[in-house]
Amino acid sequence: MGGTGSMRRGAALVPVMLLVGACSGVQSPLAPAGEQAADQLWLFQLMLWVCGILYLLVVGFLGLALVRVFRNTSRLAEPELAPADRTLDRSLLVWASIIIAGLTLLAGASFVVDRALAAAQAREALRVRVTAHQWWWRIAYRDPASGRWVETANELHLPAGRTARIELASADVIHSFWVPNVAGKMDVIPGRANAIDVTPHRLGWFRGQCAEFCGVQHAKMAFDVKVDTPAEFAAWLATQARSAAAPADPVAARGFQIVTQGQCAMCHVVRGTAAAGRPGPDLTHIASRRSIAAGILSMNRGNLQGWIAQPQALKPGTMMPAVTLEPGDADAVAHYLEQLK
Amino acid sequence: MQRYASFTFRAATSLVLPGVFALVACTKEGRTLGPEQPLTPPVGASDKRIGVFQNNLYQVSQGGRYFSWYGCAGCHGSTAPNSHDLAPDLAQHPRAFDAIYAMIADHPRVPVHYRDRIPTEQLWQITAYVRALPATKPELRRRQDLDEAGEPQGAQWAGPVR
Amino acid sequence: MSAGADGVELRRAELAEAWRDPPGLWGFLVTVDHKRLAARYIVTTMFLLFLAGLLAMDMRIQLSAPGLHRMGPQLYNESFSLHGSTMLFLVSVPVMEAMALWLVPLMLGQRNMAFPRLAAFSYWLYLGGALMLWVPHALDITPDLGWFEYPPLSGPGYAPGHRVDIWAQMITFTEVAALAASVNIIATILKLRPPGMTLARMPLFLWAMLIASLMTIFALPAIMLTTSMLIADRLVATHFFSPSGGGDVLLFQHLYWFFGHPEVYIIFIPAVGFVSSIVETFSRRPIFGYPAMVLSVLAIGVLAFGLWVHHMFAVGLPRLGNDFYTAASMTIALPAGVQIFCWIATIFSGRPRMATPLLWVVGFLVTFVIGGMSGIMTASAPLDLQLTDTYFVVAHFHYVLVGGAIFPLLGAFCYWYPKATGRLMSERLGVLAFALIVGGFNIGFFPMHVLGLWGMPRRVYTYPAEMGWGPLNMLATIGSTIAVIGGLVFVANALWSYWRGERAGADPWGGHTLEWLCPSPPPSYNFDSTPTVRSITPLWEPELLAYDGIATTKRELLVTSVMEAEPIYRQNSVGPSIWPLVAAVAVSILFVGSIFTPWALVWGALPIAITLSLWFWPTRERAKTGPLRKR
Repeated sequence: MGGTGSMRRGAALVPVMLLVGACSGVQSPLAPAGEQAADQLWLFQLMLWVCGILYLLVVGFLGLALVRVFRNTSRLAEPELAPADRTLDRSLLVWASIIIAGLTLLAGASFVVDRALAAAQAREALRVRVTAHQWWWRIAYRDPASGRWVETANELHLPAGRTARIELASADVIHSFWVPNVAGKMDVIPGRANAIDVTPHRLGWFRGQCAEFCGVQHAKMAFDVKVDTPAEFAAWLATQARSAAAPADPVAARGFQIVTQGQCAMCHVVRGTAAAGRPGPDLTHIASRRSIAAGILSMNRGNLQGWIAQPQALKPGTMMPAVTLEPGDADAVAHYLEQLK
Repeated sequence: MQRYASFTFRAATSLVLPGVFALVACTKEGRTLGPEQPLTPPVGASDKRIGVFQNNLYQVSQGGRYFSWYGCAGCHGSTAPNSHDLAPDLAQHPRAFDAIYAMIADHPRVPVHYRDRIPTEQLWQITAYVRALPATKPELRRRQDLDEAGEPQGAQWAGPVR
Repeated sequence: MSAGADGVELRRAELAEAWRDPPGLWGFLVTVDHKRLAARYIVTTMFLLFLAGLLAMDMRIQLSAPGLHRMGPQLYNESFSLHGSTMLFLVSVPVMEAMALWLVPLMLGQRNMAFPRLAAFSYWLYLGGALMLWVPHALDITPDLGWFEYPPLSGPGYAPGHRVDIWAQMITFTEVAALAASVNIIATILKLRPPGMTLARMPLFLWAMLIASLMTIFALPAIMLTTSMLIADRLVATHFFSPSGGGDVLLFQHLYWFFGHPEVYIIFIPAVGFVSSIVETFSRRPIFGYPAMVLSVLAIGVLAFGLWVHHMFAVGLPRLGNDFYTAASMTIALPAGVQIFCWIATIFSGRPRMATPLLWVVGFLVTFVIGGMSGIMTASAPLDLQLTDTYFVVAHFHYVLVGGAIFPLLGAFCYWYPKATGRLMSERLGVLAFALIVGGFNIGFFPMHVLGLWGMPRRVYTYPAEMGWGPLNMLATIGSTIAVIGGLVFVANALWSYWRGERAGADPWGGHTLEWLCPSPPPSYNFDSTPTVRSITPLWEPELLAYDGIATTKRELLVTSVMEAEPIYRQNSVGPSIWPLVAAVAVSILFVGSIFTPWALVWGALPIAITLSLWFWPTRERAKTGPLRKR
C-alpha cells in the first residue's frame, strides 16, 4: 500500500486536527508516525463514515416513527391486527441489503489492511528483543560491531523508514506491547514467541504503554520511543554498546563504589564494572534515557534520588527495594549515575 | 401482597451479620503497599514486626520472588540437590525468626555478605518465606517455581519463558 | 363446574387455598411461588447493581483528574475486578433469569414453572455466589485481578492466597444457578404452553428466553471448566496453564471467551424480548416481520458461539484465523440490524402512543446502535489491535450492555410494574429518570471513545497529566454522576408508586399477551382457568376461551405437546419445600470447602447426596393410568 501512503497521511490530518489543544498526541493512534498505524487510521476513518451513515439511517427512520407517536392523540387506539406491510417488506429487504453491503465493504477493507500489516514481515531490516517484566521493559539490540546483544531498559529507539521486527517475550505474566503512534498492540505471553513488525516514518519522541493488565502497577509500565534517522540510530546504538564511563571525580568515585559494591549490584548491571545483577534494568547508560521507572519519572537527579530512596512512594507495589543511604552517599550515587550517559 | 419476612428476620440480617463479619476481618491476605519498611533487623524472637511478615501471604510471596532474584534458589530452590533443600531441615529443627534472619544475613560460604547487599525489608521477606517453606507441599512449591521460571536468578538469567 | 358469581368465588377460594404458602419466615424459606422467588431475585440483583455502581463511582472519581492519590493501585484493582465480576455474573444474567422466572408462567397462562423447587434452588445458590464474592470484600480479601483473571497472573506463582480461588468458585456458584434456571425455563416454554399456542404463536419474549436459555446450557460449562482448572492448578499443582510445565496460558483464554462471548448475548437476547413486548403493545399492532424476528434471534444465538476469538485478536494467533473471526463478528450485525428495522417499522406502521416504557425503547435504540457501531469497529482484527484494551472498548461494551440490556430492563420494569404491584409508576418521575439516566450515560461514556483513541489504556488507576486525558475523564465522571442520580430517581419512583401510585387494573396498557389477563397483582394461583390461544395476539381477539378441567383443590399444571401445544396430561405441581434451601447450603459448603482442600469434593458430596435423595423422595406411587402407564 506504499503508493497511497501520502494520501493516507493527508487524510490523517483531519483527526489530527482534533487533537490540537486537547491531547498530547504522543500516545495516540490518531496521529500515525508509522505505516501500520497509518493503515489502521485509514480503516478507522472508513468505518467511521460507513457506521455514521448507517446510524443516521437508523435515527432518521426512528424519527419518522416518533413523529407518528407524538401526532397520535388518542389515548388507547383500537389495535390493528393484520396491517398491510408490503412497502415495509420491501424496505426490510433494502435495509438488509444495505447492511450486507456495508459489512462486506468493511470486512473486505479490514482484510486488505491485515494483508498490508502482514506484508511488513518481508521487509524486516532490524531485530529488537523486548522482554516484559513486572513492571518494566527490557530492550535488547544486536550490536553490529561485536555481534553481542546489548541491553537497555524502558526506551526503544527505531530507525525511520526501516521495518523493525520486535520479538516479544515475557519473564513473568501476560503483558502487551503497544506504541499507538507506530502500530497496534501485540500481547507478550509467557510460553509464546510473539513478534510485531513496525515501520515508523515520522521522527520524534512517542510513548508506549503496557496494554494488558499485569498486576498492581500495570498503570505505570510505560516506555519512551524515539524514532531517529538511520544515521542517528546507528550512532545511538554504538554509544549503548560501549561499557560504562569511568567515574570522573571523587564524588562519582564514591558513588561508583556504592553502586558496584553495595545493594545495587545484586540486581543491576553496569557493564564494565562488578555490578552484574540481572533482575533489574541495565544501568550502563541510564543518564542517556529520557525517563526512569518505566516511563513515569523524568531522568534527573532529584527523581533518581527519590526513586532509589523511596520507590514505594512513587510506584507502590514495585519490586525495586528501598535503598537507605546516608545523605552524602545518596548524593554520590546520584552524581555517579548522572554521568552514565 | 404477602409480607415477605418478619421484622426480627430483617433486623437480624441487616444489623447483626455485618457486625459479626467486621469483627472477624481477615488480615492474612491483606496487602498494604506503601513506604513503610523496617529499617532494622528483628530484635529477639518476639519482635512485634515479625507477625506482619510471617503471617502475611503477600510478604511471604514477595520473599519467594526475592529468593530467586538474590540467587538463593540457585542452591536452595525446589530443584536443588537434597543437601541444600531448606524445607526438610526446617521441618525437623524449627528456628525462631531472628535466628533465620541472622543465618541469611551472615550466610557462610557465599561470595558476598548478604547483610550489606540485601535491603533490610527484603531480608525480612526472605526470612518469612524460608520459614513458611515446611508448610508448603513440595509439588505446590514446584508448581509455583515453574510459574516463575522466567525470573532472573541473581547474576544468571535463563531468559524469558519460551 | 357451577357457573355464576358464587361458583367463581368458590373456585378462587379453592385455588388460593391450594396454592398458598405457609405464613411468616417459614413460608419465606420454603416458597416455590415463581413470583415471590422472582421478586427476591430481582431485589437482590438490583441491590448488587447499586453496590457495583458505588464501586464504579469510586473509580470514576479516582480517574477524574490525573495523578490522584485517593485510591491506591491495590484498592483500584479490587474495585474494577469486583465491579466487572458483579455486573456480569451477579447482576446482568441473573436479572434476566429473574424476569423470565416471573414472566414466563404468566405469559403462558400457567400457574407455575415446570420445576418449582429448582427455581428456588437457583435463587439460594445464586445468593450463595453473591455472598461468596462480597463477604470476602468485607473481609478485605477481594479478588483483584479483573473479572477475567488470566493466568499466569492468577496462577500459583503470582497470586498468593485465596483471592483468585474465591473469584473462581463464585463463578461456579452463579453458573450452576444459571444452568438450573435455564433448564427450568426451557422445560416450561416447551411443555407448559397453553393449548393452541404453537411455537409460531409464541410471544417474542418467550422465543428470546428459550434461545438465551439454550445458549446458557452450551456456554456455561466452558467457564466452569476453566475456572475449575485454575483452582486445580493452584490447589493441587496441576499444569493446565503452566507454560514451563507443558501447559498453555492461551487455553484459559479460549475456554473463557468461548463462554464470555455468548454470555453477553445471553444478557442481550432477553432484553430484545422486552423491547418486542413493549413495542407491540404501544404500537397497538403485532410486531412487523415476526418470522424475521424469530430467525434473527435464532441466528444471533447460533452465531454468538463462533465469535469468541475477537477478544483475543492481540494474542498473536494466525492472521487468517483472525480475519475469519472478523467476518463472523461483523455478520452478527445483520440479524441485529434486521431486528432494529422491525421494531422501528412496527412503531411506524402501528397506532403508537407514548409512555415511559416506549421512551426506554427509544433510549435503547439510539444508545445500543452506537454500541453496535463501535462493535463493528472493534470486530475488525487490524483495527482492534489499536482499540482493544483501551477506553474505546470500555465505551463499546458499556454502550451495548447498558444501552442494550439495562435500558430495556428499566423499560420492562416500568411496563410490568403495574402487573406486579397493581399500581402505575409516575410518568413525570419516569421521564425525569429517563432523561437523567440516558443523558448522563451518554455524557459519561461517549468521551471514553475519544479517550481510547487518544491512547488511554484500560485498568489503570491513574494517568500522567502530560497526556491531556484529564478534561474528558472529568466529563465522564460528571456524566456518570448524573446517571447515578437518575437511577436514584428511578428507585424513588418505584418506591413511591408502590404506596401512592395510581391504581392499575389488569391491563392498563392494553397489551395482547396472556399476563395481562390475570388480576394486578396476580394471586398466588395466577389465573382462574387456563386460557386457550388461537392467534398471536390472544387478548386482542374478540373472545378468549378457557380450558377447564385442571384441578382447583390441589396444585396441578396442564402439560401440552411441544409443536402443536395440544393438551397431553395434567401434572402435579410441587408445593412448598425446604429442600432447595438445604441443597443450596450443602452445595455451597462443597464449593467453599473445595477452595481449601480437594477432599471437600469427597466429603462435601455426602450431604448433597443425602439432601438430593430427600428432595426427590417419591411422594406418590407410579401411575397406573394415562400415557405414563406404558412404562
